[in-house]
Amino acid sequence: MSSVSERPQVVAHAQQALNYTLFDCKWVPRSARLLCLGSAARGTGILQLYELRSGRLVLLREIEKPKPIKCGTFGATSLQQRYLATGDFVGNLNIWNLEAPETPVYSVKGHKEIINSIDGVGGLGIGEGAPEIVTGSRDGTVKVWDPRQKDTPVVNMEPADGESKRDCWTVAFGNAYNQEERVVCAGYDNGDIKLFDLKTMSLRWETSIKNGVCSVEFDRKDVNMNKLVATSLEGKFHVFDMRTQHPTKGFASVSEKVWSDRELLSKRHTF
Amino acid sequence: MPLWLQEYSWRQTGSAVYLSLPLRGLRVSPANIFCTDQYLKVSVPPFLFEAFLYAPIDDTNSTAKIGNENIFFTLYKKEVAIWDSLTLANASKEKLQYLRQDAVLKAHKKAKEETEAKKVKKQEHKRYALEATMKLEEAERTRIEDLKEKERQEVTKELELWKKQQKEAEHQNRVQKEGELHQEVQQFNEKEKGKINKSRVPNEGTSKTRLKPTKGCRGSCSMFSENLKEEQLPAPRCAATIKINFTSRVFPTPLRESRVAEEEEWLHKQAEARRIVNADLSELEGLKEEEKNPDWLKDKGNKMFATGNYLAAVNAYNLAIRLNNKLPLLYLNRAACHLKLRNLHKAIKDSSKALELLTPPVPDNNSARVKAYVRRGTAFCQLELYTEGLQDYEAALKIDPKNEAIEKDAEKIRHLIQGTMQDS
Repeated sequence: MSSVSERPQVVAHAQQALNYTLFDCKWVPRSARLLCLGSAARGTGILQLYELRSGRLVLLREIEKPKPIKCGTFGATSLQQRYLATGDFVGNLNIWNLEAPETPVYSVKGHKEIINSIDGVGGLGIGEGAPEIVTGSRDGTVKVWDPRQKDTPVVNMEPADGESKRDCWTVAFGNAYNQEERVVCAGYDNGDIKLFDLKTMSLRWETSIKNGVCSVEFDRKDVNMNKLVATSLEGKFHVFDMRTQHPTKGFASVSEKVWSDRELLSKRHTF
Repeated sequence: MPLWLQEYSWRQTGSAVYLSLPLRGLRVSPANIFCTDQYLKVSVPPFLFEAFLYAPIDDTNSTAKIGNENIFFTLYKKEVAIWDSLTLANASKEKLQYLRQDAVLKAHKKAKEETEAKKVKKQEHKRYALEATMKLEEAERTRIEDLKEKERQEVTKELELWKKQQKEAEHQNRVQKEGELHQEVQQFNEKEKGKINKSRVPNEGTSKTRLKPTKGCRGSCSMFSENLKEEQLPAPRCAATIKINFTSRVFPTPLRESRVAEEEEWLHKQAEARRIVNADLSELEGLKEEEKNPDWLKDKGNKMFATGNYLAAVNAYNLAIRLNNKLPLLYLNRAACHLKLRNLHKAIKDSSKALELLTPPVPDNNSARVKAYVRRGTAFCQLELYTEGLQDYEAALKIDPKNEAIEKDAEKIRHLIQGTMQDS
């Protein structure tokens, strides 16, 4: 009995049943609203905006788009604009102004296949440098976009000619502590984790773990890179110490088997 | 033959009988004493004491005290009465026998009842214990739930408060902005009044239209300030591409540790299956181990094709096909060799065989099938069977419509056909 009372308890504040498949869900920054992205049964994309009011989730807006949406981020917009960047099932990257969601502020057919993961940096008053968005797709490429530059990505990490492609499952920005430095980490379904340095436009480090990589995240993207957590299939996760890079062995890591993962921004060591 | 103990002494009160039975040097344990409500027996082999009691006693409450030299019985009577004697008198042998048996039966019944009662009691105790633990756990659970509920309410309150603050801040901002705008408009209006002498309505009209430009001016002012801010951001990076390689993986599925063993086994079996099946071909005894592997022979053939040694390549493919005649790629490559050697009929046969083996048509087969069609088409054309050749080229185009070389060749053939038709 005593162990039950000492264990940290999860408090559920509100629940909501949905009639569509939910793929991603993000808090709208500096508000009590949250955004749900997903795919309806008829094959169209759904964006729902909820507000947490006195213990209940109230639906404020529902927007339907022609293609299902897989992922979204607020990471690259300012606090006043709060534009949402989304990746959908056919490879389109769109940035929406939620006040006027009929046409996107920025739209590009970024990839040939579904965009699995998206991340943004430089916005929301966090960090320095230009706002940028990175997308990772099933076609094996990772592309970095600048909302000011139309149609072409700023950086394109693609397989060498003749190389067969592996699905990219997750991308994350990191090390964005000043205007020049930035690093993109990508995880693939064959267990590869690759770290690209955008300042030198090169592959900085790569490693391979024994399971497909479901998610990578830095503990904070706007400081000197400290810790990187990578979760994989089979319920395992690895934490890499990114402060010191050994010339041949790379970064040190620790791995454990667990059931779920999400780093809390408030407590960097808790996830 | 038991020895009867007949020396005993007894006395009675209205409700009890006190019986004293002397034992000389006998060790008696409680097991030796047998008592029912109307029969008392003490049996310490070979000694025996038996008493058919005058009236029934309460045998559960009666006691027997085993002392050093005697047993002292305290028997409580069921009915308060004075007994004439301890035992029944004038009892016939049958009656005694019957009484004995009856006593035994009664004792059995009593024992059974006792065990039953004990069982029932045990169950009761268990149930009670279970209920008690359940109550405790329930209490703990409700306590935790209450804590959670309290937390929930606190957070909700905080959230609502924060939201209200945000709204108020926004409202104040808006009011402030409107106030500033109003002031600007007033200043502008006063300037206008000073300059133009017109009737009121047009003035107001102009002042109203003036509002828009001021707003626009303000808008452009803010855009201007934003532009300044944007210039503080670094320009977008110059486009670059980084080429990457992946750790190779045969399967298109994601890598899972638990499946690695299965996958290895599958690959191993595939490789085995491709090896020599029929081991008693006598000519093969002269060959080395690797020369019996169709894959190795295929590679050898490819190399020789690349260097231009088409006859040797054909030989390699022949041997490979003898070892395993189910690999379409072998026929495909041999068709290419035959084309180069201008064995056109053989090329056609091999491409056809390859296409046969490449059923069912799936996207993975695409490149192989395109090649097969193209080769067969080429062979047909070189034999001047242009219509058949065109058919094959069109089939190839159907699989891979974007291939320009095939397009061009198909066009050429069409022209040729039209040219010959015109001639004839």
